[in-house]
Amino acid sequence: MEYVIEMNHITKKFGEFKANDDITLQVKKGEIHALLGENGAGKSTLMSVLFGLYQPEEGSISIKGKEVKVNSPIDANNYGIGMVHQHFKLVHNFTVLESIVLGHETTKGGVLKMEHAREKIVALSDKYGFKIDPDAYISDITVGMQQRVEILKMLYCDNEILIFDEPTAVLTPQEIEELMKIMKLLVKEGKSIIFITHKLNEIKQVADRCSVLRKGKYIGTIDVATTSKEEMSEMMVGRKVNLVVEKTPFKPGEPVLEVKNLTIKSKSGAKNLVNDVSLTVHKGEILCVAGIDGNGQTDLVYGLTGLEPIDAGQVILNGKDITKDSIRKRSLAGMVHIPEDRHKHGLVLDYSLEENLVLQTYFKPQFQKHGFIRFGEVRKYAKRLIEEFDIRSSKGPTSVARGMSGGNQQKAIIARELDRDLELVVAVQPVRGLDVGAIEFIHKQLIKQRDAGKAVLLVSLELEEVMNVSDRIVVMYEGELVADVKPEEVTVQELGLYMAGTKKMDMRGGKDHE
Amino acid sequence: MNKKNKESFFASEGFMNGMSAIIAIIAGLLIGFVLLLVSDSANAAEGFSAILQGGFSSGMNGIGKTLYIATPIILTGLSVGFAFKTGLFNIGASGQFTAGAFVAIYIGVKWNGLGGMHWVVGLLAATLVGAIFGVIPGLLKAYFNVNEVITCIMMNYIGMYGTNLLIRNTVYDEIRNRTQAVQKTADVPSAGIGEFFGNSSANFGIVIAIIAVILVYVILNKTTFGYELKACGKNKEASKYAGINSKVDIVLSMAIAGALSGLGGALLYLSGSGKFIQVVDVIANEGFTGISVALLGMSNPIGILFAGLFIAHITVGGGNMQLCGFPPEVVDIITASIIYCGALSLLIKLFINKLKNAKKKGEK
Amino acid sequence: MDVIYFIVQQTMFFAIPLLLVAIGGMYAERSGVINIALEGIMVMGAFTGILFISEMGDSMSGQGLLILAILISGATGMVFSLLHAFASINMKADQTISGTALNLFAPAFVIFAARMINGVQQIPFIDSFRIDSVPVLGSIPVIGDMFFKNTYITTYIGLGLYVLAAFVIAKTSFGLRLRACGEHPGAADSVGVSVKKIRYAGVIISGFLGGVGGLVFVVPTSTNFNATVAGYGFLALAVMIFGQWRSGRILGAAFFFGVMKTMASAYTSVPVLKDLGLPNDVYKMIPYIATLIVLIFTSKSSQAPRAEGIPFDRTAR
Repeated sequence: MEYVIEMNHITKKFGEFKANDDITLQVKKGEIHALLGENGAGKSTLMSVLFGLYQPEEGSISIKGKEVKVNSPIDANNYGIGMVHQHFKLVHNFTVLESIVLGHETTKGGVLKMEHAREKIVALSDKYGFKIDPDAYISDITVGMQQRVEILKMLYCDNEILIFDEPTAVLTPQEIEELMKIMKLLVKEGKSIIFITHKLNEIKQVADRCSVLRKGKYIGTIDVATTSKEEMSEMMVGRKVNLVVEKTPFKPGEPVLEVKNLTIKSKSGAKNLVNDVSLTVHKGEILCVAGIDGNGQTDLVYGLTGLEPIDAGQVILNGKDITKDSIRKRSLAGMVHIPEDRHKHGLVLDYSLEENLVLQTYFKPQFQKHGFIRFGEVRKYAKRLIEEFDIRSSKGPTSVARGMSGGNQQKAIIARELDRDLELVVAVQPVRGLDVGAIEFIHKQLIKQRDAGKAVLLVSLELEEVMNVSDRIVVMYEGELVADVKPEEVTVQELGLYMAGTKKMDMRGGKDHE
Repeated sequence: MNKKNKESFFASEGFMNGMSAIIAIIAGLLIGFVLLLVSDSANAAEGFSAILQGGFSSGMNGIGKTLYIATPIILTGLSVGFAFKTGLFNIGASGQFTAGAFVAIYIGVKWNGLGGMHWVVGLLAATLVGAIFGVIPGLLKAYFNVNEVITCIMMNYIGMYGTNLLIRNTVYDEIRNRTQAVQKTADVPSAGIGEFFGNSSANFGIVIAIIAVILVYVILNKTTFGYELKACGKNKEASKYAGINSKVDIVLSMAIAGALSGLGGALLYLSGSGKFIQVVDVIANEGFTGISVALLGMSNPIGILFAGLFIAHITVGGGNMQLCGFPPEVVDIITASIIYCGALSLLIKLFINKLKNAKKKGEK
Repeated sequence: MDVIYFIVQQTMFFAIPLLLVAIGGMYAERSGVINIALEGIMVMGAFTGILFISEMGDSMSGQGLLILAILISGATGMVFSLLHAFASINMKADQTISGTALNLFAPAFVIFAARMINGVQQIPFIDSFRIDSVPVLGSIPVIGDMFFKNTYITTYIGLGLYVLAAFVIAKTSFGLRLRACGEHPGAADSVGVSVKKIRYAGVIISGFLGGVGGLVFVVPTSTNFNATVAGYGFLALAVMIFGQWRSGRILGAAFFFGVMKTMASAYTSVPVLKDLGLPNDVYKMIPYIATLIVLIFTSKSSQAPRAEGIPFDRTAR
């Protein structure tokens, strides 16, 4: 039987590290083939090889039975392969039209001629119900819309083999439904789809077959209809995974964090990124702020931690108004922050591990005397944290942070933040991009804090994390809180509706959770 | 060292960096030599040898001259290097240098009754004025997000024209179109150094420069202030997250950088060596040389000390080389080539790796 | 009225080189490469161009000589900029260091070469290019006096190059791809654009315009070349940043600066200003102070090309 894509015995190394180790993948024409694996398993790398971004050390690729060399994205495109990347490859200040034609422009004497392209794009958009505006700027459109632009890029070039790399991370459940419909429509037209994901639900919904990768190795290919989620999960992780997190019963205490009528305006002042938000986090409680990326959660956290100024409202920590306090003061008052972007905020990548571990405490008497750093103490402290939190690195305390793996970088940040005198943990997407083992560890740490009577404000985009870990959930939509529920009282579908703004709870009455 | 230690030493980061620096220096010198050959092959060897010998060819006096020339550029090098470490490109060292120089000369000419403290006051004032000059680009960057490269360039011109204007109205020697002579008490004392080095123009200034090197080293590597400054330079967002006030740190950093350059300006002119500021529309070269020194020294204070000495060495050599008929600009060409080759360190590292692999294959 | 004509004419001589070099810098930076070597490129370009004029002054003259010189200056700039391109793009070197090295190299090399060739470092040339009045156009009242009298062909060539450059970056596929490389090279790479080639093109264009800019600066303003362009390369950088990397705004910034500089050197011809009795140095400082002040107000939302200065590595994780 002829496969439309065959990747045979692909090995791809980065230095000594084997991201892909003798992987074979076979995709049939007209099927939706899922590529399953946890973060770091090698799925994106494998598809980057197919797309010509990387060259494998070993192995071959065949398209429609013929062996080919894919040396660059141009080759891939010539063979009809297109890819929607996990992190969109879009230029922020280009229009939709410019983004789609880039690399395939129609020109006369070098000068751009866009009319024909415009017609074709509008026609494609109508065909699949995309509703895009060709003249909108990428930076102005929603993430869901940006993804459609990425899809249109592929359709514009008449690609037959479409790769989707973790497409649903940024979508609401409803948008995910629509995407699935579109995928099914595309394969009906004869296109073939490879769909990278670590989400079992989605595979069940839309995939025909599924190939599983684990730690760079190929585990096997299964037929989705006849395989259970537990079986797929076990193949993915290599052991039985307890999908439910263990917690002690929920016994909330006094309020620790009180946010009252918080409003943050956008830079231009045109709209409110955070609009009159009020919430409370109690001792011994994990409150999760759920919602689609870009609905104000990031700004809310920036306002709470002091990274951005707020325009109205109050932030009260243990009864003290910290609204106007500096970041340092809030930190010393017991608010610790595990940031969303570990490279932007969480670490100074060019500093060593130990230098990063004292990033929040270097000025304390423990680590300095009269302004001079006490290097011995810093080393001692770092060694202790490395052991307690199992932070792995090439040279221990002196390893440069940049060279550490994502999971260990995140562990370092968490070690640093949780090993302090804290009252409130503000954790934003703390397990993004990490493997199951690291995820379990980090969730355990957060629950440990909660069980010890601390308060945790968790911002998450992963519905499973939201449902499993939190004691209480609030949903943010367009800068406002639209729901306040307990996980046992709500279904994933309902959460999805809140997140999409379709359903709104009456927040003014205020549910009393004392 | 047993074999394993030996291998890891050669593979270490430090060794690689050191080797690429040395290869860059050799490459730069070779380029200079080739230029000499091309233009006048007969005298090329003699000219090149003059450059390499530097001050040594005139014995102690020559070494003294090297120290004298090195002093201001070590300071401007520290100025630029310090700013680099904190993420800023202080291309304004020239303006800060000139501002400091003027103030030092003014005090040297006009102020009386300070006795033995005269030169100290001059140095301190220059340092202060240099700091103020440096603070302006710092403030503009921290609070108005203005690119510091541009503000520094603007300040260089403002400093140059401003100093010329002030000189014309205060300490002007109209006949010779330069500043007037400073009083003897304003000159940095020789403290025996000048005499030791063959009665040259070297003086206590070189000691001050070395003290500055040590101070900068300690601040950057041993203090919490240095920790904050480097964090700001490496990742502004993360330092903000950590509660570091990056705005204040940027301003302080530029203040220190400006102070260092200002001090350099004072040390050049309060030296009893017959140096005067010429009132012309030319931006002080010592500032730009400071950039070379900082780059060659890889922004490391100790490296800057040696880079400053090296550049002074070949500058003195270049002066001697003129006797063979070559323009002294060859020294600048060599310096520029060394910096360029240093930037190609990737190439050099690849080259070293190839050598290592060939050696390994040979051993097998 | 004559004063105004004079100011306009002089402004051209100051503004056009700034404009050309700033646009060149824009091409490099919007392709993703920071090019602070503009000063050095101008010096090298001016050197070869003026040397050509000086040597050929006996056998040729007039506009033809100048046009040839312009081509030579441009070519020199292109070749010199290749050094920066190689270091920045192939070697992924620190672009500030590479640029600084070239800025150091150029004036030293030019003095060295001039001394070796002519014995002195200045290169004098005969200015046979001044156009007293452009035929037909110079006779138009007012406009003719302002723009077509006492001028050089370099002004028109410069403006022509500007229009071409502004058009290319906005309206051609090359321009589109170049802009992508400076903002998000990964996006360009993923659709098959060669980021390396585009960035080379960007730097080479900045080399060409920088070299031409150097010649265009020296010819109308003096009769010999003394191994310097008086910091114009750095000023062009300021103009580029001031103009927010956009052709239209760079035009405005270049002329703003040109007017200021003209005032500084020509104020003695303006009765009002002459009577103020301010020292010459104050006037010289004004363009720089003015730029600082304007920058304070306009830099809040300054947006450099996002990927500039970052060497592109497809495999970077």
